[in-house]
Amino acid sequence: MILLKNKTVLLSISLLTLFGSCSDDDDTVVVAIENTVEVPANYSFSRNGESTVSFSGQTTRIQMAEEMITAFFEPTNTVESLNAMYAHEEGAANFSNNALNSSNKNIKSKVATSIDFFAANAAESAQIKQDFETFIAGQVNEVFPAWETLATPGVPGQIAEGSTPRYVNAKGLEYDQAFVKGLMGALMTDQMLNNYLSTAVLDAGQNIENNNSDTTEEGKPYTTMEHKWDEGYGYLFGNAPNAANPLETIGDDDNYLNKYLGRQEGDPDFAGASQRVFNAFALGRAAIVAKNYELRNTQVEIIRKEISEMIGIRAVYYLQIAKIGFTSGEIGAALHDLSEGYGFVYSLQFSRNPETNQPNFSTAEVNSYLATMLETSPNGLWDIPFETLDELSNTIAARFDFTVAEANN
Amino acid sequence: MKMKNYIQITAVALCTLFMYACSEDDAEPLNIETGISFDRAAILLNWSDNIIIPSFTNFETETNALEVATQVFVDNPTNETLEVLQASWFTAYLGFQNVSIFEIGRAEEISYRNRLNAYPTSVSKINNFIENGNVNLDLPSSFDAQGFPALDYLLYGLAQTNEETLAFYTTNTNAVAYKTLLTAVSQSIQSLTQQVLASWTGGFRESFVANTASSVNGSVDKVTNDFIFYYEKALRAAKVGIPAGIFSNDPLPQNVEALYKGDISKELLMASIKTTQDFFNGKHFNSSTIGAGYKDYLDFLNTIKDGEDLSVLINGQFNVAMEEAITLNDNFVVQIENDNSKLLEAYNELQRNVVFIKVDMLQALSIDVDYVDADGD
Repeated sequence: MILLKNKTVLLSISLLTLFGSCSDDDDTVVVAIENTVEVPANYSFSRNGESTVSFSGQTTRIQMAEEMITAFFEPTNTVESLNAMYAHEEGAANFSNNALNSSNKNIKSKVATSIDFFAANAAESAQIKQDFETFIAGQVNEVFPAWETLATPGVPGQIAEGSTPRYVNAKGLEYDQAFVKGLMGALMTDQMLNNYLSTAVLDAGQNIENNNSDTTEEGKPYTTMEHKWDEGYGYLFGNAPNAANPLETIGDDDNYLNKYLGRQEGDPDFAGASQRVFNAFALGRAAIVAKNYELRNTQVEIIRKEISEMIGIRAVYYLQIAKIGFTSGEIGAALHDLSEGYGFVYSLQFSRNPETNQPNFSTAEVNSYLATMLETSPNGLWDIPFETLDELSNTIAARFDFTVAEANN
Repeated sequence: MKMKNYIQITAVALCTLFMYACSEDDAEPLNIETGISFDRAAILLNWSDNIIIPSFTNFETETNALEVATQVFVDNPTNETLEVLQASWFTAYLGFQNVSIFEIGRAEEISYRNRLNAYPTSVSKINNFIENGNVNLDLPSSFDAQGFPALDYLLYGLAQTNEETLAFYTTNTNAVAYKTLLTAVSQSIQSLTQQVLASWTGGFRESFVANTASSVNGSVDKVTNDFIFYYEKALRAAKVGIPAGIFSNDPLPQNVEALYKGDISKELLMASIKTTQDFFNGKHFNSSTIGAGYKDYLDFLNTIKDGEDLSVLINGQFNVAMEEAITLNDNFVVQIENDNSKLLEAYNELQRNVVFIKVDMLQALSIDVDYVDADGD
């Protein structure tokens, strides 16, 4: 009880400090803004009676990424067939959904390609794109041949997590988890935080002038700035059945950002994150309509902080929770948690610290953590020491506003 | 983990209230007045010698009978041999409800419960076994194509009548494959059970009884976690909550236990509730004798909740849940179709004891939950 109280007091103090510094710095601006633009209850915006919200390209890519998940569990797939899904070409029958087959969009071309982090970093972008092909090749060449055999330390195959079979490589890593949780960072997070919400994109060319004068794109009801903002929104809510009010189904609409932002609601330490992110998206969009770019940018910072923190929390959570699996003899559960954690650690390089505008972790740092996970012990995740998990957890949490203890439940 | 936090917080509050020391997580709980700790060895002895080993011994006999009946049927598939096999399947399925709680030691290592009773069974995997052979029941991907639910399908799910069922084992072009699979599944139930019992009688009992530590690896703590996990997941959720639609948008009648036989889902549930309550009370297997168990332990610690003995509250709630279960239709598919609210009500009564057991009892016994809810992804 005492501890809990202290925590609340600390939190209140820090909140006070936050508000205090806000009002000291730009007192009038904040007050003026909050008087003019309110958080819309729904994400629906229109011009002349026509909706201006559009993010079909993001919905398409989320759905392609969803189909890749099932494809990792079909051992008849080949390196070629999975790579073809990853780098889909218009008209190729890579997906069960024909709308995806006829699309000219694909996953690979948007992996690690944000304007802020990768425009001048082609080599790293190429390496990251290649990482996902490496996960694919590992699944096909190492795990598929062992599909009908039992995994043991150093030997790929199946292992049970309760009644669910998990498929691991020799080091206990599920490539599907590395791929999916890694893609959450490299595609969705990177595109959202470091591309569409970037001033380099939102304010590119004549975007501000055009938005100020309500000059819409050729043949479209939206201004370019509005559209870019919506595309950022689409990477989180683009597969929601009711995208104007997506919080009613948060967590259920995909296996990527939506799922894990929803999952965070299960931890009282972080409750409300999905509402905060939604509000920031809705208010930022309303601010664009109201031509209030300062308010818009404030919302960008909120989104960057929340989404980045979610990835960090999830990484630490899985590294910590795996210890329970090992302790209680649920090795399959432990390896699954660590595989999820591996993917979230991978995604840390696409998170963004709003104060520095840099990733919270460099690619080199992330790669060293991943190597630590797989190479500290002879059999990788199977026998990773708890000290290693704790060290990694502490290192990650130290760069965020949460503690290992808060993430670990 | 959430529960653990809650427990720790409440425990701190309790410490303050009663002013007795509980400085460490794994401190052994003491009687408030006498300062004496409960004899954990007595509990462990009663559990192993009077409940767990006799239950497995009895169940092993039933699985032997099941295996024999399978062989007799496979060698000579007739209406009579089919009926004998079906009867021995039902007897063993009921017997399994007595042992499923004890997922510890060898049982835990081999995923015993999931190999004997993962349902709904996968008809597509079973069909794949029939058409392509390659039956490997040791693989986790085969867990939902073996055990009692697979036999349920093979004995009741292939056709509407026994006569038509018989044809699958006689005139069907895949009759040999059906017989082979039936044998493999029966033998697997038997051999896994033999392994578990052999481990108990071959040394595990000694280490189990000796491990009186009050810590996550102590026998009492481990069994208690297995007990609660079983109650919460295998009983409350699997038998009632999931089919009733508690965890989904709609009821899932295809998820009831013994889907194809149909009219025994209530009996299996009641057997499971009875076993759980008997274990709580330390009641000897197949006897009215009561030995050391959670009831004694809680009474020894004088655990009171809302002015009532916690053990009385828990037993009362078991009784209420059982009374609710008795009113259900024998077949839960029928119950869901006719009046799902009764199944939901049964779930609610089972759920009330989760709070008493998982929160209040664990807190009194100073035991931490050692499992987390799986992600489901």
